[in-house]
Amino acid sequence: MSAGNGNRSRWRFAMLALVAGVAIFSAGCQRRSVDRLVQHKLVYWPSANPQEIELARDLVREWNRLHPEVPVEMQPVPESQSTEEVLLAAIAGHTTPDVCSNIWPGAVAQFVRAGGLVPLDTFPDFDSLATSRLHAGVLNQVRQADGHIYEMPWKMNPVMLEYNVKMFREAGYSGLPALYDDFLEAGRRITADTNGDGRIDRWLMYVDFRVKWWTRFFDFYAFYLAASRGQALVKNRQVIFENPAAVQVFRFFRRGFDLGFFPRSRFQVDVFLMGYVACHPTGPWNIAHVEKFKPPGFEYDYAPIPVPDSSCLPPVTYGDPKDIAIFTTTRWPRDAWNFVKFLVTREADLKLLRVCSQIPVRKGLLQDSLYAAYFQAHPKMQRFAEQAAHTRGVDPVPELKEIFDAISHEFETCCLYGHKSPEQAVHDAAERAREILE
Amino acid sequence: MRLSHENRAATWMTLPYILHFGLFMAYPLVFSLVLVFHKWDVFTPMQWVGLKNLVRLVHDDWFFRAIWNTLIFVGIHIPLQIALALFFAVLLNSRIRGRGFFRATFFLPVIVSGVVVSFVWLQLYSYENGILNQILLKLGLPRVPWLNSPRLAMPSIAIMATWKNVGLYIVMFLAGLQSVPKYLYEAADLDGASAWQKFVNVTLPMLNPTVVLVVVLSTIGGFSLFIEPYMMTDGGPENSTLSAVLYIYRQAFDFYRMGYAATLAFAFALIIFAVVLVQRRVVEVES
Repeated sequence: MSAGNGNRSRWRFAMLALVAGVAIFSAGCQRRSVDRLVQHKLVYWPSANPQEIELARDLVREWNRLHPEVPVEMQPVPESQSTEEVLLAAIAGHTTPDVCSNIWPGAVAQFVRAGGLVPLDTFPDFDSLATSRLHAGVLNQVRQADGHIYEMPWKMNPVMLEYNVKMFREAGYSGLPALYDDFLEAGRRITADTNGDGRIDRWLMYVDFRVKWWTRFFDFYAFYLAASRGQALVKNRQVIFENPAAVQVFRFFRRGFDLGFFPRSRFQVDVFLMGYVACHPTGPWNIAHVEKFKPPGFEYDYAPIPVPDSSCLPPVTYGDPKDIAIFTTTRWPRDAWNFVKFLVTREADLKLLRVCSQIPVRKGLLQDSLYAAYFQAHPKMQRFAEQAAHTRGVDPVPELKEIFDAISHEFETCCLYGHKSPEQAVHDAAERAREILE
Repeated sequence: MRLSHENRAATWMTLPYILHFGLFMAYPLVFSLVLVFHKWDVFTPMQWVGLKNLVRLVHDDWFFRAIWNTLIFVGIHIPLQIALALFFAVLLNSRIRGRGFFRATFFLPVIVSGVVVSFVWLQLYSYENGILNQILLKLGLPRVPWLNSPRLAMPSIAIMATWKNVGLYIVMFLAGLQSVPKYLYEAADLDGASAWQKFVNVTLPMLNPTVVLVVVLSTIGGFSLFIEPYMMTDGGPENSTLSAVLYIYRQAFDFYRMGYAATLAFAFALIIFAVVLVQRRVVEVES
């Protein structure tokens, strides 16, 4: 009898411990949402780089001062390989913030399909804000297949060529040649064995030829947009990049590698600052890096992406945009929308320029007197601001990564190894993209 | 009554394992099998697709390329690893000075993270300024495109993986060598056997269980090649280092095609199972 009682009490104790454990675990999981229920508060995720954290901290402090009734808590996007990965996991786990300002437009279609985003065009004052801030073309680029807009275009980093002024000057150029033939001719003059050891040690342009899908944004895609005057890769789920512009771009890179003007090596050093290459594709984020590490007397500047012929001028490039979105987990969509509007004011855009050296997506940026002093003091940023008017993001297709992966493999086979003709490589990439979209 | 009490105690004691097995092995396995017949991107509800994933697999050239690459890796890595491990184990089993130091040195790469090793070898293999090519240039030889050539990239990775893992198999062979009875060598000495004859007729047959274990373990390890190509080449150049696991990973976590990734994983598991089965028979028959 007493043994039976002992067993029973042990059993009860075990059950109690189990229930307590489950309760503590679920309380831990729910604490965040309980906090948010109890307190009228917004959670905001900016990018995790130091400059953007500084900007976010500054903007949130200002918002909290002006709107103490709706405090915002800033938390940088959790560390991972990419923000998209984190956000998709958060959508699946219903742990998304109210607002995030590191939204890559290429991932938005996926977020929408997962039911993670609030359509911003359902807010009554969206249209007035959008039309005052953005060109109509920009809005059309971010319109999803269902006709709604789920992201507020915020900032961009147009891809341009960063070049060594002295190298080009010594080769007889006052700037970077704008057309393919002239550009490659410059390669003939610049590519050289400078120390006489029988090996080439200076090249025209560095191309990051890794097959990672996103590396193509800085070569194939930027050059394709320039050559095609900003044409999409995919439209209405139809592959449209099997065209002469894509073939010309593949041929250009193939020639560059074949002639030895682009190195077929990966370096472990900064090839541009070391003087191994005369130019390379990059964005405004690199200005701070060059300024910090450049050797004495180093002269550099930025120029648009070269094009096959003058009919493509001025060249369009990849804008590398990042946008702001509101997640469907928010309990206060109206407040979240007000916060989004606060993040894209003229004053906030000036802070974005000053703190992060990134270009706001705003029409008339160079004509606005508020920014005049900044651009006067930062002439290199002005190059990017001028280019900003001629940019394109990515197509709103959920399978975009796979399509870029397909292009990347054909790019490598054709341009780097010469195992396929440009026509065949573009055709094969398009065929694979069609299979992916099926 | 007492027996029932013991049974209950045994149940309690095995419960943690049963829970672990159910949660982390049985459930994922069954769930993966369900995925084979579905399209699922994790974020939206699953869609029944029947045999579509299997049909796609049959027509997927990249998957077969990845299998072929993995077989090339295994074909280079396993014989090289076993030969080197056996050679060094025999050497370290003899009475040489600094034996403990050498044993520790050979084992050291095993405990270093694969990511760190990959990064270090990436620097060694660098075409322009890698140490290996600098040595070749000093010797008046041309540079070798270790990771830039579609033909050389996988052998280069196999050499690196062998360097990293050989220490573990040296330890296994050392344990096997130390269990060989000494009287067998004494009898061979009396028969006038040479060192090579003793190795072939005494050491190798006695090491058979260790050889089987090492072959099976290194085969499974070889087939799960992932970190090295992921870190060093991302499957390139021209897909020459795209391993089966890397391809499955990309389908699942780059492109969120969970159903198709599960299909590939099952197909690959069957291939490994078949290879290990054949291998075991061959190794056991030969011995």
